[in-house]
Amino acid sequence: MAFNFNWSPLIADTSRARDMLTTALNKSPKPPIIVDDIIVTELNLGSTPPELEILEIGDLAEDRFRGIFKMSYTGDAFLTLKTKVQANPLNTYLSSKPDFASPMPLAASSGLTIPLQITLSDIRLSGFVILVFSKQKGITLVFRNDPLESLKVSSTFDTIPFVRDYLQKVIEEQLRVLFMDDLPAIIHRLSLRLFVPEFQELETETEERLDGSNDTTVPIDPLLTPPQDAIDSFGNPIDVSQITALSLDPASEMHASFSKSNILRLAALSESQRTLSLFTPGIQEVVFRAWANNPDQSNSGTATPALTQSSLSRIQSTFGSNRSHASSVASGSTGQETYSSRPTVVSNYSAPAGLSLGANRGTRGQMRKRKKRVVDLRKSKDSAESPGVPTEPSTPRANTSASDTTSSIPEEREMEDLVTTPTSASDSYYRVEGSHPTMNAAGPSRLMEQTASADVLLPAAPLLADAPKLSRPKPKAPAATAAAVPIRLHEPEMEERQRSHSSRPPLSRNRLRPTQQATSPLLRSLSFDKVTSLSATHSKLPTSPSYAESTSSSSGGILEQAWMMKMANEIALKVQQEKGRGVSRGRSEDVSSSSSAKNLSSSAPSRGMWMSSEEEDAPPPAYVA
Amino acid sequence: MLDFMESVQNAFYEASHWNLDNSYGALNATARALLDFQTPKGLRLQISSLAAPNFATSYTLGNVGVVDGSVSYLYSSLPLHRKLKSAELDLHHVVRGYRHLQELRRPDEEWWSEIWHNGKRIDQKDTLLYGRIFLPQSRLEALYLRRVTPTRQLRVSAVSDSALNNGGTILTLLQNDTGKYSTEYMYSTDSALMGLRGLYNFGADPRVTPTNPITTTPSTSEIVHGRFSAGAELYYGLLNKSGGISTGLRFTTLPDHTGFPYTMTLTLNPLMGNLSSTYAVKAGRNLALCSRFDFNFYSYESELQLGCELWRRRRSTGVEWAVKKMHSDRERATDAPDDDVSGILKARVDQAWRIGLLWEGRIKELMFTIGASLDLRKREQVFRAVGVELQYSS
Repeated sequence: MAFNFNWSPLIADTSRARDMLTTALNKSPKPPIIVDDIIVTELNLGSTPPELEILEIGDLAEDRFRGIFKMSYTGDAFLTLKTKVQANPLNTYLSSKPDFASPMPLAASSGLTIPLQITLSDIRLSGFVILVFSKQKGITLVFRNDPLESLKVSSTFDTIPFVRDYLQKVIEEQLRVLFMDDLPAIIHRLSLRLFVPEFQELETETEERLDGSNDTTVPIDPLLTPPQDAIDSFGNPIDVSQITALSLDPASEMHASFSKSNILRLAALSESQRTLSLFTPGIQEVVFRAWANNPDQSNSGTATPALTQSSLSRIQSTFGSNRSHASSVASGSTGQETYSSRPTVVSNYSAPAGLSLGANRGTRGQMRKRKKRVVDLRKSKDSAESPGVPTEPSTPRANTSASDTTSSIPEEREMEDLVTTPTSASDSYYRVEGSHPTMNAAGPSRLMEQTASADVLLPAAPLLADAPKLSRPKPKAPAATAAAVPIRLHEPEMEERQRSHSSRPPLSRNRLRPTQQATSPLLRSLSFDKVTSLSATHSKLPTSPSYAESTSSSSGGILEQAWMMKMANEIALKVQQEKGRGVSRGRSEDVSSSSSAKNLSSSAPSRGMWMSSEEEDAPPPAYVA
Repeated sequence: MLDFMESVQNAFYEASHWNLDNSYGALNATARALLDFQTPKGLRLQISSLAAPNFATSYTLGNVGVVDGSVSYLYSSLPLHRKLKSAELDLHHVVRGYRHLQELRRPDEEWWSEIWHNGKRIDQKDTLLYGRIFLPQSRLEALYLRRVTPTRQLRVSAVSDSALNNGGTILTLLQNDTGKYSTEYMYSTDSALMGLRGLYNFGADPRVTPTNPITTTPSTSEIVHGRFSAGAELYYGLLNKSGGISTGLRFTTLPDHTGFPYTMTLTLNPLMGNLSSTYAVKAGRNLALCSRFDFNFYSYESELQLGCELWRRRRSTGVEWAVKKMHSDRERATDAPDDDVSGILKARVDQAWRIGLLWEGRIKELMFTIGASLDLRKREQVFRAVGVELQYSS
């Protein structure tokens, strides 16, 4: 085995490393003798590379590496620092003393600042290095022991032996701290810039804002290889104990914690989907479900179409395992199952990307079945239009906001088949819903959910939300719970439908906790609460009864029902107003909401009627996504 | 605004006839009061009481950090009779501003304080004991003050704090003040710092003037309008083998001066090349202005600071002038001198546009201090610190 160790590109451009070193040096509180920022004016890594001896390789793959080296360095690197020091010893001495017992000199302590230039050279290092490399997380480099053997400090005060010795001593101390603490962080961030372009963008943004002082990267035990800024999908920082717990299960480790930059990006994406904004942030290193076309998906009726893609998403398998014990709870489990069966084709690093892109994936996942469903859709839509659903002028909007620019291209190609429907996103929903007979049982419940969604107009809440939320309809629609078991067999359809409901308001977040914790750490970490808080679009709805209540006790059903009724009434009211405005304003914009809302408004007063009439024609979903 | 305990200590100095201003350390007290005042940070409450003429307690509560506070007690062997209740104390005693120096007074004679009883001296030296503990830092401050003789005072202050080197520090200060000159010797346990300070007042010696028979016709030439003082200080740390030195000059007008009172100081630190000059003027009953210019002739760094102190008084209402006129000066003598003061504004600014603002005053029986320090250079964070301090004493 051989390694190609290329030293020259490292020494090419050190300006960035210089900046980072400057930041790192000024971060920690400085001794009182240093009265100005420490600025790294020159940094040269030298032409001699360090010698590395491989002691152990723990993990080796194309995109990751973990090993322990013995490093020794006797090169010609040097570093020049500039700062200002306080030359009056009385001043520095008194500044650290309490006033009460201070002699309070009148002017004897007045300061004299002297510019100081220090050059560090002849650095001798030797130590054990733990190096962890992963394409997503960059390089983590940690010294096992204190690597600094010796160095030469030359400064402006070389002629004064007392000052020289003092400087030598202090700088050696500081350097030891630097090697043990700061350098791993710097290297990690540098590598992130190199390998993770999105991090680079984010970094530059934040640095502009905060002047690089927001260094959240902390070196952690590299043997566990957790992400440096470990947060779960809601932006909760994962504490160390949790990380260790997660990494006991190597499969979940990668998924349970996400890069902060990705979370931000996803938040931006889901937010943009809630508005008319056409902006869709590009997310790197993400395989959208639509792109990972898998022929297995065509057989929609079979039990686990999604799991065939498990190579891409280990997260699914975790959820799949949950299904077995979750199934005892009728409709609550349906939610999880459907979620688990959803083919989330996401690169391991950014699981939430795929999840919050639910709308996109929904459209794409159906592409393969589209031919068949097109027929169904038209039928269903025609029938659906009869109860007063207006035609869909709003589809363009749904399309633009919902579908990623890249992903929409193939869709439009397929659209040629569909003569009547101009766009794909909304159509696919219709198709799906109309095509499946199993939907009937759950129909009314879904409707109610849509009432909620129509109100908020927040589309495409990340799909994660669906799992807990699905529990809500259960008590309200006993028929649905009865049908829940058969439905589970047709998970794809359920999933399709739920995807269309992605705009439902999230449940109250805190109450989700108990159940989530009961399931698995992964599920817990995937809980929805922080995604929404990140995206900063909070539902205006009152918090709905908790998931735990609804799943565990049927008594909560009354509450649920009352709440849903209230919501439906509210929405009906809103729709009335909306309609009044919509007429004057021209319907191009509001139709989507009002169309679905219209159904709802009619549904609100008489739910029984809906239960019967909704059987075959699903109402248009709030495809604001 | 002075802390209650500082006010009590000042009252002790006053009662024991110790002149605080006649020390090299107080050479530029005026400039420091107008330019270096501390702006409060956060909220701070203080409740204190001079429970007996010899005993005072004070409690403070602040929100610096989480919640912190302090408890302090003071004992003075000399009964203190200055008005220290917040409702009736003299604002000039608690607001540090322009120090209008008075004529030097002759030190007390030794025998004045002697009390004999049955052929034995039973009088005791005046002593002040003070302790303060800060919670939750567990820092303890202690002060021992003793008037050894009418011209000599011993002051021992100590701080005990586990965060400090060696767990604390003690400063011993022996002060001599004869009026004409004053000397101070100090020793600090922290790095074994030794210090020496001296101040010499030019002009007539207060000790000899009383011996001259008061002339029936005081010639105008003898009236002293101002005082010129010179002093120096010297420090040397035995352990860290480093020292410091400075010299200073001051000219200040005395109450006999007919024009605006003003004070000029010039201090020089020859080791560090620092030259500092201040000029403070009391431009009126309500206004004092001060400027300071620092220059370092080694590093050519310079600094300019400006400050002012403004006493704001309430406008007398319509009838009041008539009342005043009717009762002329008879009524006014009984009035508290600062009854109409609504607040004192202190402001300072330096050449880097760092601004400090302080608004002090009294509302009913509550003394308040509102302060802010601003940095106009840093646009994103103009307010560096804002704070409110409330004091109540009974």
